[in-house]
Amino acid sequence: MAKGYMGKILVVDLSKNEFKEEIIPDDVYEKYLSGTGLGAYYLYHNMPANADPLGPDNYIGFMSGLLTGTGSLFTGRWMAVGKSPLTGTWGDANCGGNFSPAIKQCGYDGIFFKGISDKPVYLYIDAKTMELRDASDLWGIDAVDAEQLLIERYAKQGKTPRVATIGQSGEKCSLISGICNDRGRIAARSGLGAVMGSKKLKALVLLGNKPITPHNYDEMKKLSKMCNRWVNFQPPFVTGPATAYVGKLMRYLPHQLVMDGMLYKIFLRKWGTVSMNQLSVEIGDSPIKNWDGSSDDWPVSHSNIVNPDVFTDCEIVKYHCYSCPLGCGGICSMSGKYEETHKPEYETVICLGALCMNTDKDSIFYMNEMLNRAGMDTISAGHVLAFAIECYEKGIITKDDTDGIELTWGNTDAMIEMLQLMIDRKGIGDILADGVRVAAQKIGKGSEKFAIHAGGQEPAAHDGRADPGFALHYSVEATPGRHTIGAYLYYEMFQLWKRLKDLPAPKMLYHKDTKYTVDEEKIQMAAACSKYMNIINGAGACMFGAFLGITRMPLFDWLNAATGWNKSDEEIMQIGERIQTIKQDFNVKHGIEPKNNKVPLRTLGQPPQTRGSNKGRSVNLDKLMSEYWQFFGWNSETGKPSTETKRALGIE
Amino acid sequence: MSYTIKDACIGCEVCKRLCPVDAIYGEKENVQKIDEDLCIDCGACGKICPKGAIYDDFGVQCEIVKRSKWDRPKFDVSKCTSCLSCVDICPVKCLLIPDIEETNQDRLIPFISEINTCIGCGFCELKCPVEAIIMVSS
Repeated sequence: MAKGYMGKILVVDLSKNEFKEEIIPDDVYEKYLSGTGLGAYYLYHNMPANADPLGPDNYIGFMSGLLTGTGSLFTGRWMAVGKSPLTGTWGDANCGGNFSPAIKQCGYDGIFFKGISDKPVYLYIDAKTMELRDASDLWGIDAVDAEQLLIERYAKQGKTPRVATIGQSGEKCSLISGICNDRGRIAARSGLGAVMGSKKLKALVLLGNKPITPHNYDEMKKLSKMCNRWVNFQPPFVTGPATAYVGKLMRYLPHQLVMDGMLYKIFLRKWGTVSMNQLSVEIGDSPIKNWDGSSDDWPVSHSNIVNPDVFTDCEIVKYHCYSCPLGCGGICSMSGKYEETHKPEYETVICLGALCMNTDKDSIFYMNEMLNRAGMDTISAGHVLAFAIECYEKGIITKDDTDGIELTWGNTDAMIEMLQLMIDRKGIGDILADGVRVAAQKIGKGSEKFAIHAGGQEPAAHDGRADPGFALHYSVEATPGRHTIGAYLYYEMFQLWKRLKDLPAPKMLYHKDTKYTVDEEKIQMAAACSKYMNIINGAGACMFGAFLGITRMPLFDWLNAATGWNKSDEEIMQIGERIQTIKQDFNVKHGIEPKNNKVPLRTLGQPPQTRGSNKGRSVNLDKLMSEYWQFFGWNSETGKPSTETKRALGIE
Repeated sequence: MSYTIKDACIGCEVCKRLCPVDAIYGEKENVQKIDEDLCIDCGACGKICPKGAIYDDFGVQCEIVKRSKWDRPKFDVSKCTSCLSCVDICPVKCLLIPDIEETNQDRLIPFISEINTCIGCGFCELKCPVEAIIMVSS
């Protein structure tokens, strides 16, 4: 009986050139779903404790989602999993495009690699062959060109090859490198590109055509059509520059309205994530000047260069990932060396813009394409640049250290030159290419206090001082520094209380000050976000779909219809809790102290800022973390899952 | 599951030439075989076999259908969400997306590039999450 998943994984030993298929029992899917959940289950049980992240014992897994290809919408994301060389913790990253169904069409829910190859290779799979092929001619080529070469090499009558590859950054084991597919889309976080580089694995080329069949196609489509009706509701809305003034209004009002994800969906469909560029700055959500500045340092006159309409003006066509009806992405034209680029995301714009005080729009497009091609994380790269600039401005590093580059705030040319040095790992770029934590350790001289990271991972462009939920999730997750798991805002948009009656429903209108008090409701909200995102990552779904709300994107119903299960909403949420706990225990097994993953005091408003939209705001992170851990049944002092909790969840 | 070929096969190899995944093998003028690991159950061989020698997954003999009468996909563009599930599944690249430089739409809408390559498998209809494609007999 079809269940939506493929029921087996492929494990490739690169040292021995060996392929092994492993059957995964049904009860593992029932306990962990597929995607990140299955990846966490497999790595937890198979990776030796304290494995070197860049050594042969680490695994890199390419996971598809349980719902991918089953007739559901918003479920085309694939997940890379492994031990992160950047943080030493559990690492995962996910990405859209068309790669996720290709994994399942090869007959597997996940493809894992261990060992180290003695020469560069890529994995080729089609219906008849499965082998590691020589990639010497591809080594040193950027991710976009390498993907194109491989597609041309294997394009024939029939399916288009789907390729995931690393760029030069991954090859050089830069700890802030990711894995690219579909012309520069990137699974960027956790530094998993370096794991691929360390294994000398350049790419995967997948050309399978196994069918993916859900348990009940009719029910899947019925749910999809219902979901699509909500996506299609798209009234005309404000213009791009006006978003800044909506933000200003939100900033000065003492109260806040509960956010309905339908509103954000309208923004996303019209502009993509860049819709938030100016609005976020105004409401204090965007970090400015290496998290030390405020919205006053980046006023509307500065942010106007990246107002949302700027991006739609040069958008040639919208970009939809596999099975996505929304299409938040876009292909943009640009002048200069590269003619086209994926539309930069909000994170990229802020990290390469406001965080470094850069006001040159064209340079953001250029750096976006440059980093996508090299396979380097734009969020981390922006943080590294901001860190280096602050060190330079404070005299910790000088022109002698930077090969003559004048690293001052807003010096666009210097930023581009420095990024090239990081990609090539030359001069000071060699130090900076491993993220802010490693760079601060190597530079010393008090630079540590300017290194903004959680456990080694640079946080994203969402400020915990405006929404303490971000600060909590940056610090408390098994993958620290991650903005795609939870926040109070996300909880409002997920609308989980509509299906799970035990969860608190937020008040329609609330005073902003209430966000900073720590109470049980906040902890319930944060825990629910963590659990729900684990289910989303297990299903291969997209967070932007989930922002529609649980009743409009019927994730739980899709899961039951695809698998033939009859699980209650509470039972499905428990799967999320189990995945959260096994990831945390993975970290403990590998010697991580969860309490060391806290974001620095500067990002928490300790001391509070004296101007801008986050004036006077500070976050009581220690109490939030401790209560979050306790809520999951983990030790409230250390964050380590107790034996009883693990036993109750069936984690052996 | 896989389609199978029975003894009525005369080895004319029409099905072999049509098979989009090269799953059919055998000597000319001998009974052909289908590799069940490669077969994707598209049913093209069953419709084209002049001798009715091919049987489907359920062991039912396939009916010969004149190629001009094969079902073809019909798009309702107003329902299409550009999710491209149909383009991904099409085994013969009969469905394509336009070049981004050439399209005058704001999103990529799939189109039938060469109707004669269509084998009428109906996978596009099956995969479309919003029922924007129906298979109709031409």
